[in-house]
Amino acid sequence: MSDTLISASGLTRYYESGEMKVAALAGVDLTIERGAYVVLAGRSGSGKTTLLNMLGGLDRPDTGSLMIAGDDVLVKSTAERAAFRLHHLGFVFQSYNLIRVLSARENVAYVLQLQGMEKKERFALADHWMAEVGLQGFENRRPDQMSGGQQQRVAVARALASNPDLVLADEPTANLDSHTGESLMALMRRLNEQQGTTFVIASHDPAVIASARTLVNMQDGQIVSVEGKDTEAVKGDTVS
Amino acid sequence: MLALAWRNVLRNGRRSLITISAVALGLASLIFLWGFNDGVHNTMMRNLQQVIVGSVQIHAEGFFHHPKLVKTVPDAASVINIIKDSGIDQYAYRLRTFALAAGRETSEGLILLGIEPEMEGQTTRIDQKVDQGRFLQNNEEAACVLGETTARNLNLTLGDDVVLLTEDLYGSLAAEKLTLVGIISSGEMGIDRGLAIIPLGFMQQMTGMQGRYSEIVLQLPTDQLESTTAQLKQALAAKRASYEVLRWYDMYPMMKQWVELENAFYYIFLSIVLVIIAAGIMNTVLMSMLERMREFGVMMALGCGRVKMAGMVVAESLLLGVAGILMGSIIGLALVYYFQTAGIDLSGQMDSMARFYINPVIHTEIDGEHLWDTILAVLGATLVAAIWPSIRVARLEPVEAIHHV
Ligand SMILES: Nc1ncnc2c1ncn2[C@@H]1O[C@H](COP(=O)(O)OP(=O)(O)OP(=O)(O)O)[C@@H](O)[C@H]1O
Ligand SMILES: [Mg+2]
Repeated sequence: MSDTLISASGLTRYYESGEMKVAALAGVDLTIERGAYVVLAGRSGSGKTTLLNMLGGLDRPDTGSLMIAGDDVLVKSTAERAAFRLHHLGFVFQSYNLIRVLSARENVAYVLQLQGMEKKERFALADHWMAEVGLQGFENRRPDQMSGGQQQRVAVARALASNPDLVLADEPTANLDSHTGESLMALMRRLNEQQGTTFVIASHDPAVIASARTLVNMQDGQIVSVEGKDTEAVKGDTVS
Repeated sequence: MLALAWRNVLRNGRRSLITISAVALGLASLIFLWGFNDGVHNTMMRNLQQVIVGSVQIHAEGFFHHPKLVKTVPDAASVINIIKDSGIDQYAYRLRTFALAAGRETSEGLILLGIEPEMEGQTTRIDQKVDQGRFLQNNEEAACVLGETTARNLNLTLGDDVVLLTEDLYGSLAAEKLTLVGIISSGEMGIDRGLAIIPLGFMQQMTGMQGRYSEIVLQLPTDQLESTTAQLKQALAAKRASYEVLRWYDMYPMMKQWVELENAFYYIFLSIVLVIIAAGIMNTVLMSMLERMREFGVMMALGCGRVKMAGMVVAESLLLGVAGILMGSIIGLALVYYFQTAGIDLSGQMDSMARFYINPVIHTEIDGEHLWDTILAVLGATLVAAIWPSIRVARLEPVEAIHHV
């Protein structure tokens, strides 16, 4: 039973630096099924962030096509893409994920507020997700009163609270020590299995790579290999 | 969203407080300056009206520009009834003509004004301007009050005889000898020179104008000036004869024009202060924006729309502005109210020319219109200050903002 969430084909993205034209993405074909847990690995500069931004509707490819949850992301206007992100996607960034002046609860509830949920309802849901990521009792803390790992957990709670189709995470463990990073990955894996939420995570952290159900290796803006238990979940165009 | 904006304002409390204080200081000084300005102007205008001119004068049509003894107020009794019916109790009637006053060796042309002392005393303050001797009394006959310059030119002192020569109703010469009982020193050239005030009844007899008046002078509160004038004009228009109902500034427009010119300069000054206020707020908002670039990027990535982002920046700017306006209004109005009672003593700095119009102690007051204009202008400046930062925020690309260092 296959249920396609993402289908990308022929994605390219060029950056011009002086006279040089750098291909951050040099033709990527990728299909990801719902419920997958994919790690994009590869050396620095291999195009992981560029691809992730593309999937998140934060960047547009120069050529190619991209469908997410049955929607053609590329024909959308800026405002439509913002609304699409709000209702379909969750994000976990490397650091400074949280709004500094809001408490953990308010940070988790922020996306729900943007969606128009009532205060009581969204705070209750936020508290539920705070507990889910193991941060019960930290609801009223401000970001600067929490450790880096706790902040990332709040970001995970926020990403999942709106029940998105897809959670995108770029180097979520980069600023964490290895133990904290491992437990964050364990949390994300557990949520993937429990909730069935699709995760795509870009990282070169071994702990992240170890957590992968599907591992996509990138090099020079291309997918070089796809490995893992769940290979049918992802069909990458491998280059020999 | 307002709560979020407010927390962001509080986030860098010191910087916000400095900005709010700057707005408050700017607004408070503007309000205080208006208070001083309006205090001086309103006193000037009140003095002009209260000393002799009145707020409104009613004449026969054309009298003001071409005064003639015989051009008196038609059907004066019913005009006075209309005035009384309008609820006005400060009014006085006068007779006016030209005359020649002769002293010991010289003579001088002047305006002869016949007044009823009691009625005049209830309406104007010319009696308080008597410097030597006394003002006219009720039922007095051949007594005369002159301005100090005229008295000096004619070489007259109190108790001397003054001979007045004028034309009567029929154009023949009328002459009377009166006693100089008082000398006025007002500081206003038009009064101190070229004016003789004599009892109305005596003047009517002298000129054969019994029961007739050239002008009816009304004293009105400022806020009733326009409505009462319109009302009187309407009532008089229904009558067969034609009248002129002139406000003080219809007769002496210079002062009103001067006040308007000075106010225009104040508005220019106001706009300069506004530019400074707007620049200060914009600087604060831009600085707090730069600090939060990543946060803005994250918010946009999460799906916050550009309009909302811009709205947040506008809200922050408005909060700074409104807080400054509240603080500034309180301080400014407190100063105005304090000096309204306490007064600012400028007697040292004042020359005699100004003495007539400006009292040596300035009591501040502020016109509602000036207060609102100023507050709204400051509010407008805070909105203007938000334009550029909010456009910048709306134009942010989330990916670039997130990687902003
Ligand atoms: N804004 C940009 N301007 C110019 N070149 C860029 C820009 N963003 C990315 N690139 C280039 O595109 C290529 C891919 O970058 P990308 O950030 O996707 O790599 P990455 O795999 O995420 O690397 P890292 O592991 O360091 O995060 C690199 O060669 C990079 O220099
Ligand atoms: Mg990267």
